[in-house]
Amino acid sequence: MASTTSSAAVADTKPFDIVATYNELLRSDADITMPIAAIEALVLLLTQSASSTISETLDLLEKSTAHLKRSIPNPIGLSAGTDLFQRYLITTLQRPGQLGPAGDFKAIRTHLLSNGRLFIRRAKESRDKIAAFGRGFIRDGSTILTNGGSRAVAALLQKAADEEGGPSAVRFRVIYVLSSTSQDCKLPNEEPEGMETVRALRAKGVPVSTIPESAVAYSLGKADMVIVGAEGVVENGGIVSRMGTYQIGLLAKAIGKPFYVVAESHKFVRLYPLGQYDLPIEQQVLEFKSEEDLAEERKQQSSAADTNGDTPIKLPLCDSVDFTPPHLISALITDSGVLTPSAVSEELIKIWF
Amino acid sequence: MPSSLALTPGLGSFLKCLKTNPIDTSIETLISLLKRRQIRHSRSCATATAYLLRSVISACRTTDSAKLIERVQSVGRRLMAAQPREMVVGNIVRRVLGLIRDEAEDDRDAEFALSDIGSESQPQTPRAYDDPSLPLDRDSPAFRSEERSSRPALTSMFSLLSHPEPENSLPSTPGSSSPNGRLPGHGPSKDVRAEVLEGIGEIIDELGQVDDQIAAYALDHIHSNEIILTHTSSTTVQKFLLKAAAKRKFTVIHAESYPNNHEATHATVSGSAVSDDDNLGLEAFQKPLIEHGITVILIPDSAVFALMSRVNKVILGTHSVLANGGLVAAAGTRVIARAAKVHQTPVVVVSGVYKLSPVYPFDFDSLIEYGDPSMVLPYEEGDLVDLVDVQNPIYDYVPAELVDLYITNLGGHAPSYLYRIVSDHYRKEDISF
Repeated sequence: MASTTSSAAVADTKPFDIVATYNELLRSDADITMPIAAIEALVLLLTQSASSTISETLDLLEKSTAHLKRSIPNPIGLSAGTDLFQRYLITTLQRPGQLGPAGDFKAIRTHLLSNGRLFIRRAKESRDKIAAFGRGFIRDGSTILTNGGSRAVAALLQKAADEEGGPSAVRFRVIYVLSSTSQDCKLPNEEPEGMETVRALRAKGVPVSTIPESAVAYSLGKADMVIVGAEGVVENGGIVSRMGTYQIGLLAKAIGKPFYVVAESHKFVRLYPLGQYDLPIEQQVLEFKSEEDLAEERKQQSSAADTNGDTPIKLPLCDSVDFTPPHLISALITDSGVLTPSAVSEELIKIWF
Repeated sequence: MPSSLALTPGLGSFLKCLKTNPIDTSIETLISLLKRRQIRHSRSCATATAYLLRSVISACRTTDSAKLIERVQSVGRRLMAAQPREMVVGNIVRRVLGLIRDEAEDDRDAEFALSDIGSESQPQTPRAYDDPSLPLDRDSPAFRSEERSSRPALTSMFSLLSHPEPENSLPSTPGSSSPNGRLPGHGPSKDVRAEVLEGIGEIIDELGQVDDQIAAYALDHIHSNEIILTHTSSTTVQKFLLKAAAKRKFTVIHAESYPNNHEATHATVSGSAVSDDDNLGLEAFQKPLIEHGITVILIPDSAVFALMSRVNKVILGTHSVLANGGLVAAAGTRVIARAAKVHQTPVVVVSGVYKLSPVYPFDFDSLIEYGDPSMVLPYEEGDLVDLVDVQNPIYDYVPAELVDLYITNLGGHAPSYLYRIVSDHYRKEDISF
């Protein structure tokens, strides 16, 4: 897929369009996460450009990253990947040893360029690692409430289901919360996110109950724990995740059920949101309108010829996210072990300082 | 067990047996002691395990660290299987394994002198929690062993992008790559075994002085005229209080922890504690709190909530501490912690680092041990036994959010910080062996 040299890149003068590459990567592989797609796009970018000095490369990376972040409505997930890539490059160059010091820039470049596939494979394998760590959380006879379309959660649940009938037979049930907002911007007959996992689990003999978001409080009494995925894990240990996760977290806290987050460690992102409205994205969730505003809007829509690109891209409602603060999270199940929320900052500090 | 004829079976008899008997007999002895619960306090179990492993290693005539690890693992597995709820046994085994791995790696480092210096910044991070205001004995074995074991970094987020050769040849199996097995050809330049034995000696020293080290923090936490509530006859807590009692006047409310520990608690309060075998009789020489002029009020467990509004601080001992900051402690602890939460009273848990287990409490119920029901319903009431189901849980699981502060021999830590101490003390590859 390296040949996605696009036609007439938008704001970029380079022939390589990182935004298109990123979107193409996400589309072509359903198993790939946003940070990994971003890393992959940067690797492809380096393959295309003939930069030979460190500062030239870093400058190129910085510019492309900024461009990519501007062009994607929700750059939280991908910025984890771009940051990781940039920090890796810088730290490796600073460190004398196999791949450094500065003289060996070529070596590290070829390492990164030739191992793009390997990174993707490792990222996918990290889900298996998580499943191995998280396997112990699913006890015999337990009921797990989950939501969204997280692939890490799906991997974990399926791993636990696979062992049914094996030496360590676990019988567990799943309550799957299906999002109702996701229908807003999809085709009317398309199934909600997560149905694929539901089917896979049912095929493995796990009893699954699907509930709407409004039934979470009602159903939580029957659940033993909540396991959710995340789009990004922020510095204080909170998570940015599919809209609706925050309320599940609040309810789980109120009812006293443990709330676990399953996330790959490459989703850790250097961001410190102070609340729901402190995320660096524009969401169309709260829109206060009077009849007058609606009339105005209709008028504008009818004469919608001037689509100026200056306004920030807004996130469609179905892709909206919320922020679950760390005090609602019992533990994070990551590929580097089961962490408390406060351990996240340390992992981040390790790569940044 | 010919040598234990004179003594009641316990730590004392085991240590005697260790001196005279061959190593395999000693292993069997400890396993049966653990199984029969004839050795039960955390520290006794830890001490017995440490001494046993020291003998195991000195009996193991090899310099190959991989073989040593294998031997310790096999002994450790049997000990842990004998009494899975006595988590200190596993902790000590893991620390010894970590020692062997560290020594083996030191050897390799000496050979490959130009290993990456980039990780130089690592040893500084664990020192961050070493509050300079706290009087920490830098030469204490705890500190040194902690410093040494901090060197292996946790898997960094960079492992995703790292060079494929040095590690991650099998990324799907974490911890399977034993670093020692890879260089079988290299004869170690120094005696790994001697170094490890020395390290175990330090662990044993640590076990001996851990209470005094913890007590050194007492004056920072207990102030004049405070009312302190405590529970059970924990030696660690008693030493902690005694240290403060030497300088300050305060009041102690002591819940009696019926039915499993009330006799020992009464004896502790009144100062008539008979030396029980497991505590090696050290505590018997200690003066009780009342002789230091401290008012001690003995209350039944049911009065805890009623009195909590007057209490300034709750100080608890524990059986073991888990990686998520929760703890397994004597039954009744959770009630006290919960009551303290309701009254917003700070809860301080004193515990040696050796009790800190890397185990994550997936299933709280399985951690709780059930004891002798005749403590609750004596045999004289035999005709009732058919009619009721009597249960006597010995331990309680206390979740991390009910604890405000842990005081270990390394200092005071927030519950959310314990994961860090865990990662400093135990190697990742040893967590589940």
